[in-house]
Amino acid sequence: MAIPVIMPRQGQSVETCIIGEWYKQVGDQVKAGDLLFSYETDKASFEEEAKEDGELLAVFYEEGDEVPVLTNVAVLGRSGENIEEFRPGGVGEAALTVPEEAAPAVESAPVAETKEAVLSEKREGKIKISPRAKVMAEKLGVPYEKVQGSGPYGRIIAQDIEVAAESLPKMTLLAQEKAKAEGLGAGEIATGIGGRVAAENLVAYNPVYGDDFEVKKLTNMRKLIAKAMHQSLQNSAQLTHHMSADARQIMALRKSFKKKLEAGEVSQNITINDLVCFAVIKALKKFPQVNTHFIGDSMRWFNKVHLGLAVDTERGLMVPAVKNADDLSIEGLSSQLSTVAGQCRKGNIDPELLKPEAASFTVSNLGNYGVELFTPVINLPQTAILGVCTIVPRPKDLGDGVYGFVPMMGLSLTYDHQALDGGEATLFLKEIKEQIENLSI
Amino acid sequence: MSNKFDIAILGGGPAGYVAAERAGAKGMRVVIFDKRALGGVCLNEGCIPTKTLLNSAKVLENAQEAGKYGINIESTISIDFGKIMKRKDKVVRKLVSGVGAKMKHIQAEVVMAEAVIKEKRADVITLTADGKDYQASRLLICTGSEAAVPPIPGLDKSIVMTNREILQLKKLPESLVIIGGGVIGTEFADFFNAMGTKVTVIEMLPEILTGVDEDIAAFVRKEFTKRGIDYHLNAKVTELRGKEVIFEKEGEVFSITGDEVLLSVGRKSNVAGIGLENIGVELARNGIKIDQHCRTNIPNVYAAGDVTGFSLLAHTASREGEVAVNHMLGRKDVMRYNAIPGVVYTHPEIAGVGLTEAVAREKGIEVEIRQLPMAYAGRFIAENEGKDGFCKVIVGKKYREILGVHMVGGACSEMIWGACALIEAQLRVQDVEEIVFPHPTVSEIIKETIFAF
Repeated sequence: MAIPVIMPRQGQSVETCIIGEWYKQVGDQVKAGDLLFSYETDKASFEEEAKEDGELLAVFYEEGDEVPVLTNVAVLGRSGENIEEFRPGGVGEAALTVPEEAAPAVESAPVAETKEAVLSEKREGKIKISPRAKVMAEKLGVPYEKVQGSGPYGRIIAQDIEVAAESLPKMTLLAQEKAKAEGLGAGEIATGIGGRVAAENLVAYNPVYGDDFEVKKLTNMRKLIAKAMHQSLQNSAQLTHHMSADARQIMALRKSFKKKLEAGEVSQNITINDLVCFAVIKALKKFPQVNTHFIGDSMRWFNKVHLGLAVDTERGLMVPAVKNADDLSIEGLSSQLSTVAGQCRKGNIDPELLKPEAASFTVSNLGNYGVELFTPVINLPQTAILGVCTIVPRPKDLGDGVYGFVPMMGLSLTYDHQALDGGEATLFLKEIKEQIENLSI
Repeated sequence: MSNKFDIAILGGGPAGYVAAERAGAKGMRVVIFDKRALGGVCLNEGCIPTKTLLNSAKVLENAQEAGKYGINIESTISIDFGKIMKRKDKVVRKLVSGVGAKMKHIQAEVVMAEAVIKEKRADVITLTADGKDYQASRLLICTGSEAAVPPIPGLDKSIVMTNREILQLKKLPESLVIIGGGVIGTEFADFFNAMGTKVTVIEMLPEILTGVDEDIAAFVRKEFTKRGIDYHLNAKVTELRGKEVIFEKEGEVFSITGDEVLLSVGRKSNVAGIGLENIGVELARNGIKIDQHCRTNIPNVYAAGDVTGFSLLAHTASREGEVAVNHMLGRKDVMRYNAIPGVVYTHPEIAGVGLTEAVAREKGIEVEIRQLPMAYAGRFIAENEGKDGFCKVIVGKKYREILGVHMVGGACSEMIWGACALIEAQLRVQDVEEIVFPHPTVSEIIKETIFAF
């Protein structure tokens, strides 16, 4: 005949207990006196033994569940016996949650009240802690992974956390305010008066990584980039359109220039990027509204194209400008672009050329890195920026119902909607595409 | 009596004798060595004798100004320099014997001889003094400092005085040239000027009292200039010819001869001849290198006081001695240098603690500053007829924590400890506002200034 296992009452005022650990699983054969599970009040931890022999037929509560005392938590009996009559009435979900406020007051005969919390070195492996203790630890800011548990098998119970909280280092008033304002906590060191944690002792404590990290100051370069990027996104209405261009023509040009270089006919190594920039300049001449600065209540329309090129350097991103780029031949443009990029990497670039105001439009090429699509950030006050992506083969109608894979270059145009509308931006992007596809030099 | 001790203390100054007292009180067996006299420079040729002299100057000032307070002194006021110096000796003797009594009370073995560290084997440190070996498991080195003597051409140590010799003067000099306008130079300048000596101060830097709040230093210099002290700032002494001091200022060469010449250009830590090399104690730039518990690089060997080469103050030394002993005894204690008060016992007195405006500026610390004249404190007006002074408070910009308090005027040295406590406890403006200050006291100026934030 099946019998219920009930959550015992420990003391008059205890109304709920938390299941610590199940030592037996459903289906296990149990002998009278075997430990079934551990449970705890807010003060102490206990273990419940099986009263009779039998098979553990059902378990109604999981580890960590808070269970009212005298409730059925499991059923012992013979295989196949009905357990439904023992299921706690009206409990659909596994656990009853008792609000914190309703938790019972102190037990009449507290167990081990004078116990000292033992803070030990961080232990290996999984930390055994009761859910109640864990919640309390997080609330009180106790680093529980260092608390020596006093429950069964060294399990940390609520009382351990309470005691540990009392022995937590006290903070100076300044430290308290700073900790709260900056999300910091007490670390290992307390050099304040009377052993208090002084403001300068505070560390960024986090339950996941503790203080296992290093704070590195930003370089001035990084600060400048951060400021420019943040301002760009804050002070404009930028969005990005994507399109791709048939890259066969541009690749053919690149190939022929390479051959000429190898043959010694030209001295300048003309890259795909140079050719794209050349095409972009041509497109800009047709769309002067893009070759502009947006400056609030007016715009600067430039007569010449001053092309900015995003350059990745060891010190961070730099965008040097090539002045009057529309006056240059492809060789001249290539030479100038490679010169400014080299100066950026060496660190001897004229700072005037790095100012965002120096360029009228910027090209950022991530194609070499295999990026297929991105949303470049406008270098304010410029109105737009073109992101050049990698070349991937895509199917294309080659005419007469014949489809083939052709190399397509991704183009991502970010523009400031304050200055340009979607239609013009799209037409401009289409112009770049056509310039690239039909580039002739 | 056995020659094995729990702690050997090398030097009986404010670091050594205070450490001995604390260690003795905890039941440690103490041996303390000093080659000169218990009490160190502080008691014998520094803090105490100079304060005794400056008090005579203050009494003289009170007598001279008694008329301002409605007290008429009919007979002439005169100075008995011999008696002033004798009283100073009496005060020193009394305090030195007091230290001796304390050492007796804790049953410390006092060895009045030059001691040298001989060796450290396992945990036993051996020192030799007067041909006898003493063994201890821990050592506190606190051999202090002495007046630095820079390599000035022509400098004759038998002619030019330091703080030590000037305190033994038998006759009041008619004129005194002081090289170095730091704390020591400024205090002697004030005393001798009050006694009627013609005082000239030659300072290499643009302002006297380096480390003191700039406004306060300028305030005191102006006050002293009014009283007749001559200051030469930005002046570099290039040569000494007996008692003639040759110095260069803004490209010009000057010469001045005094009845006496005092050299007060800084202190040099006493690290030589005590056997540091025998156990391999590591040195920093100006003295023995210590950590925040006053430990040296050698286990169980500690150092405290001027021998460390920084914060050369008696109260720093005493606190370092305490931190060292506490650490030996396993008590968590660390040395903090952010709230060490600095006091100049001139008239008016200068007292300051914590961050100064200049350091905040130099280190780029964001601060807010308020300053109020001493006249905001009723008692100051009542007791300081025709006198002036001010209080400056520096707080952190973000959290408004008290970072520095600097005062000049009246007896501000006696109240600066309160400001130290505010800084030590990291109290903020709003916290100090809750503290009750006694009324009427000059200390209320601190609260008034803090309320100005």
